[in-house]
Amino acid sequence: MPTNLLQGTLDLLILKTLALQELHGLGISHRIAQITKGTFQVKPGSLFPALHRMEESGWLDSYWGESENNRRAKYYRLTPAGRNQLMAETDEWQRISIAMASALEST
Amino acid sequence: MPLLTRLFSLRRNLFDKHRVEQELEAELHTYLEELTDEKVRSGASFAAARRAALVEIGGLEQVKEEVRQIRMGNMLESTLHDIRYSLRTLSRSPGFTGVVILALALGIGANTAMYSVAYGILMRPLPYPADDRVALVYMHFSPQNFERGTMCIADFLDWKAQNHAFEEPSVFSSRRMDLAGAGEPEQVQGAMVTTGFFSTLQVAPLLGRVFLPGEDRPGAASVAVISEALWRRRYAADPAALGQTVAVNGGPATIVGVMPEAFRFPRANTEIWTNLPVVPPTRRGPFFYRGIARLKPGVTFEQAQRDTNAIGQRIMRENPYYRNLTLPVERLRDALVGDVRTPLLVLIGAVGLVLLIAVVNVANLMLARATTRHGEMALRLSLGAGRMRLVGQLLTESLLLAMAGGIAGLFVAYGAIQLLRSWNPGNLPLIEYVRLDGPALAFMVVIAIVTGVLFGIAPALQGMRADLNSTLKEGGRGSRAGTGAPQRHLRTVLVVSEIALSLMLMAGAGLLLRSLDRLHRVTGGFAASPHAILTLGISPSDHKYDQEAPMRVLYDDILERSRQVPGVESVALSDSLPPSYQSDADTFMIQGQVLAPGESNPAVSVVIVSGEYFPTMRIPLLKGRFFTPQDKLSGPGVTIISESLARHFFPKRDPIGQHLKWSGPDNKVPYMEIVGVVGDVKYTGLQNDTDDAYYMPYTQVVGKRMFVVARSSLGTAIAPALRRAIQAADPGVTVNQVASMQVMLSQAVALPRFDTVLLASFAGVALLLAAVGIYGIIAYSVARRTHEIGVRMALGARQTSVLRMVIRQGAGLALAGIALGLAGALALTRLLSNLLFGVAATDPLTFAAVATVLLAVALLASFIPARRATRISPVVALRYE
Repeated sequence: MPTNLLQGTLDLLILKTLALQELHGLGISHRIAQITKGTFQVKPGSLFPALHRMEESGWLDSYWGESENNRRAKYYRLTPAGRNQLMAETDEWQRISIAMASALEST
Repeated sequence: MPLLTRLFSLRRNLFDKHRVEQELEAELHTYLEELTDEKVRSGASFAAARRAALVEIGGLEQVKEEVRQIRMGNMLESTLHDIRYSLRTLSRSPGFTGVVILALALGIGANTAMYSVAYGILMRPLPYPADDRVALVYMHFSPQNFERGTMCIADFLDWKAQNHAFEEPSVFSSRRMDLAGAGEPEQVQGAMVTTGFFSTLQVAPLLGRVFLPGEDRPGAASVAVISEALWRRRYAADPAALGQTVAVNGGPATIVGVMPEAFRFPRANTEIWTNLPVVPPTRRGPFFYRGIARLKPGVTFEQAQRDTNAIGQRIMRENPYYRNLTLPVERLRDALVGDVRTPLLVLIGAVGLVLLIAVVNVANLMLARATTRHGEMALRLSLGAGRMRLVGQLLTESLLLAMAGGIAGLFVAYGAIQLLRSWNPGNLPLIEYVRLDGPALAFMVVIAIVTGVLFGIAPALQGMRADLNSTLKEGGRGSRAGTGAPQRHLRTVLVVSEIALSLMLMAGAGLLLRSLDRLHRVTGGFAASPHAILTLGISPSDHKYDQEAPMRVLYDDILERSRQVPGVESVALSDSLPPSYQSDADTFMIQGQVLAPGESNPAVSVVIVSGEYFPTMRIPLLKGRFFTPQDKLSGPGVTIISESLARHFFPKRDPIGQHLKWSGPDNKVPYMEIVGVVGDVKYTGLQNDTDDAYYMPYTQVVGKRMFVVARSSLGTAIAPALRRAIQAADPGVTVNQVASMQVMLSQAVALPRFDTVLLASFAGVALLLAAVGIYGIIAYSVARRTHEIGVRMALGARQTSVLRMVIRQGAGLALAGIALGLAGALALTRLLSNLLFGVAATDPLTFAAVATVLLAVALLASFIPARRATRISPVVALRYE
């Protein structure tokens, strides 16, 4: 079942996706659906503002390449700053999820 | 590193906008195509796939707008865009823009001018270093009861000896001084000061030095410090003026220093300061001196006041003549500003009201305009503009208008200040500190921004609430959209409050006008035409007149020669003049009067005159006789009293034949016989009721400074001839303060006239704005109801009934506003009561008059659109939709 993205998780998902592979817009949104087993479906209305914001922040870099169907497409990749950001956000997320889990388990 | 990236993005977004947009377009397009391909591959037709893809994306334009909003420099860019857009829309409706800018220019301009005046007078730093540590010290005691009374040298010495609070107590006394030697003899404003005077004010001389310690001891050589103006005028700015001798009131003094132009104390026109040798006196009096001193570090004004009051208590214990004695301490600025603080504060409040009315007016216009723009707003919303973006756009427009109004207002303010300075009502203190400068400019900008936000907020919020569906569905019939009840309600409230505020201002102005009128009706107590009365101050400066006998001879000679001047109908001498030149006031005692120990009669005006004074001024004789040449020095002392004094002190008996004399400690002066009673004359200002006075003939009591009072139908034209006649008697006599009674009367009401003119012009602007406001709302309502009125007329309504219907609406608004305004005015005009003369702060006549005027203007303002309504042709009106 598709779920609304939590505030802040979208950045992390994009960073994670691009850490494995350079992708264009539609590719990123498919990959996110795939790696979250269809839990998150990212609409262009959130995806593109996020991509542009992260690019302006220097976490992503972009170039124009060819898509699988031979179309001119804008590809995104992680910059070194983006990699650092991914590590930092991953740590942060793990801390939060452990905290949340223990909070929910306590009686 | 990230910072550099951001700056790079910012540069690209701002200066390479076209490419950025193209790339965004291409990126989204690819997304759409790829998504469509996928859907085709899974079996849909191309058209179905494309539609599904578009729905999934949710509107390409919206996505673009979302991306644009997160871009670097988005704020800056959209602001610039808003400004361009606003300029375009505003220039499309020049009438609206013009009216708004005019209203704001009046409001902001008046406020900026008033602020400059208030800042210059109340707040601008004085040219005296740390002036907030300088105090004036007065003496207040019964029976004199002068609020800022003076002390005598004995009091000064007591204060100085027991002082703990001040650095170096000093005293000064302003007086006219006759200058001779090097150039024409002339009389200037001077001051006698002790050494501490200059060290207290701490202003360095332009040239030379100020007084040295010891120069105020008995027997010290006479020295003088002159003003820059006098130095330039009399000595052609020659440094060699230092060391020269100038004759001051006949005695030689050496010039030791020149004070810079900015040094203007104790009076704005003081031009010479001489050293005051403090000779230990044998008695208490005369009371000529005010104290000035600088607080010791760490001492507050309150502590200083306690210290001086304790000293006052001791002085009083040792001198039973004083009662209720205090030594009031006042800040230097308060002393300089004096009585104008209250009027200024009232005027500031009033001008603030004017701005408030202007803001309400503009808000109203903006609201009316906003409703016609609902279609535009709804369209922009549906095309993906954010609501905040729209609000920002509308606020930008308001701020632009406000700024334009502010800049136009600067011109208004500049003109107003020039006008004010050139018209300078004479006794407005510190007017030379009033100018349009940095602080005034900053004030204007702040005021403009605040007003812009104030009048922009309502239309902006309205814009934000724009309802997409209903507005678009109405098919752009903008004039009917958004005219819902809440909006109309808000506009009505605005107009009503505008009327109410105007009424309050008009009530204030009306009261001041009535009061000024009353003041103009105060005659001063004489029946001669003020235009026909000419007065010339004379002072014999030579030491040969230290004796009384030669002085009397001189006065006789001057009178005799003046009588010969062609055109002079009658001429006399007096040492006091109406309306406000009181030369002396003192207490008196009546022979046979029994007073409780320590009690005494109040101080009254004491006037020395020649016998012709009363007929010259046409002051009525009520009983007895005038002075005659037979009232000689060798004969018995005689006096004439005023009607008020007779009424207060001889209520049930005939004053003629009674005796009185001035009271004071150790008084061995003989009593004078009362020979006449004359009408009351004002010597302490037209506003005051202190008309008790007694007169003495110059043949028996000599005054050192007198005025020649001449009556002539030629008015001031005879002044040169009179001056020549006076100086023919003795060339050493200086003639000064030549003025017609008309000018003196006019000066006496200068300050009240100043308040009145200003408040009346504020009220006029308010009335104009209120009229525009009413006109606006009625005209708008007529336009909105064109259809309805057309139907009524088609159904046979007569023109007069349509006229009545529309005017009734305007009258309703006006009456509501007037009722509210009257309530507000009743509460507020009490603040004016200190400025009023002979009129109650709640004068019903004034209130009724201003309410009538306002109602009439309101009816007129609604009559114009009402007449337009009657001309509506039913056919046109019905087709109008």
